[in-house]
Amino acid sequence: MFDCANVEMRELLPELAAGTLDDATRARVERHIGSCAECASELETLRLVRSAYAVTPTVDVRRIAAALPKAVLLPEGAHKGPPVKRWVDWRVAAALTMISVGGLSLALAHRRSTEAPPRDSTVAVPSVDTSSAQPGKPAVVGSPPGGHDTTRRINRSGVPATPPPKAQLAFAGGMDDMDDTSIKALLGALDEMDRAPVAPSEEPDPTPVLPVIKTGQP
Amino acid sequence: MTRMAQDHEPNDDSTDLELIARWKAGDERAATSLVARHAPALARFAISLGQRTDVDEVVQDTFVRAFGSLHSFRADSSLRTWLFTIQRRLILDRRRSERRRRDDTSVDDVDAATEFDALDEIVADEAESRVKKAVDQLSRLQKEVFLLRVNEGLSYKEVAEVVGSTEGAARVHYHNAMRAVKESLYV
Repeated sequence: MFDCANVEMRELLPELAAGTLDDATRARVERHIGSCAECASELETLRLVRSAYAVTPTVDVRRIAAALPKAVLLPEGAHKGPPVKRWVDWRVAAALTMISVGGLSLALAHRRSTEAPPRDSTVAVPSVDTSSAQPGKPAVVGSPPGGHDTTRRINRSGVPATPPPKAQLAFAGGMDDMDDTSIKALLGALDEMDRAPVAPSEEPDPTPVLPVIKTGQP
Repeated sequence: MTRMAQDHEPNDDSTDLELIARWKAGDERAATSLVARHAPALARFAISLGQRTDVDEVVQDTFVRAFGSLHSFRADSSLRTWLFTIQRRLILDRRRSERRRRDDTSVDDVDAATEFDALDEIVADEAESRVKKAVDQLSRLQKEVFLLRVNEGLSYKEVAEVVGSTEGAARVHYHNAMRAVKESLYV
C-alpha cells in the first residue's frame, strides 16, 4: 500500500470528506482523485471512519445549560481579566507596612534627637539648710533634721522649673555639655536661690496612709 | 443508553464570540445556544476517547468547567477547540482516578477491549465495525489526533492545541494512524 506523493492533495482529503472546502479547491481535489487510486482509497477510508463515528449519544441541552454557572455582571470599567493573585496583594500590603513602620521609626528617632535629650535630663541637687547657715560659715548640705526631703532640681537654663516656694529646678542635659561660663552662671543662680527664704511646704505628704481596720481582736 | 442523536444546531446565527459576549451580559439563552452548538461534537469526541458511560455527564462537566473560566478564553483558537481541550483533560483525569481504583490494571488495554464491545452494540454494519476495530488499535494519542482531524475537521494546529503537542507532531501522528488503519482494513 502506497501513499500519494502529492502531499498538498492528501492533506486536503479530510476537509473534502468533511465538506468544508470551498468550491474551487474542492473541484481541484476531486480532479486529482479522479486520476489517483491512492487518494481515492484514502478518501473512502475517511468516509468510513466518519460514518462509523457519526453516532453520538443524545445530550440534554437544557439540563446542561441549567447547570452552567451564571455570568457575573461586572460594572463598567471593572477588571474583567483573570483574578489578580492574592499573594501579590499580600506582598504589596507587606511592603507598604514596612515602609510605614520604617518611616515612623525614622521620624521618631529624628524627633528624639532634636527635641529630647539622650539621657536623664534632671540632676538632683541636695537641699541646703539655709536656716542653720551663718555668716562666714558654709551651709549644711543634706536632709533636714525632720527627714523631709527638700531635694531641688534645676534645669540647664538655670531658671527654676517650679515656683520659688518649692525651690526645685529642672536641669535639662548633662553637666558635661556645659562650658565653664555656663557652669559659673548656674552656680550663681544656685547661690541666689539659696539666699532666698524657703517657705514650708503646704502640700500634703504624698505618702499614702493605709486605713487602720479594727478586727475586734486584741 | 446511547442512541442516534440529532445535532442541536441552534437557530442563532451569531458567532461563538458574540454568544459569549451576550452570555456575559446576562443573556442565558446565549449559553443554551452554545451548548446546543457544541455538545454533540463533544459527545462524539468523548466516545472516541473511550468514554463508554456517563457521556452526558462528561459533556456537562466540560461545559460547567468551561463557563466557569470563560474569562480566560482568549479566542486565539476556536471555542470548540478549547472545549475539546478541556474535555480531553477531564476524561484523562477521570481515567487516572479509575486507574487508581482498579489497582494497576492497564487502562489502555481495558479501554481497547471494552470500548470496542460497547461500541459494537450500536454499530450493525460490518464495515463500520472493522473501521472501529482498526481505530481502536491505535495508540491513544494517534487515535485522538486521527479522530479530531477526520471526524471533527480540526486543522493540525488545532489538533496540536487539543492534545498538547506541536503541529508537526500532530501531522506525523495523523499519517501514521492513517497508514495503520488502512493496513488493518485492506491488508
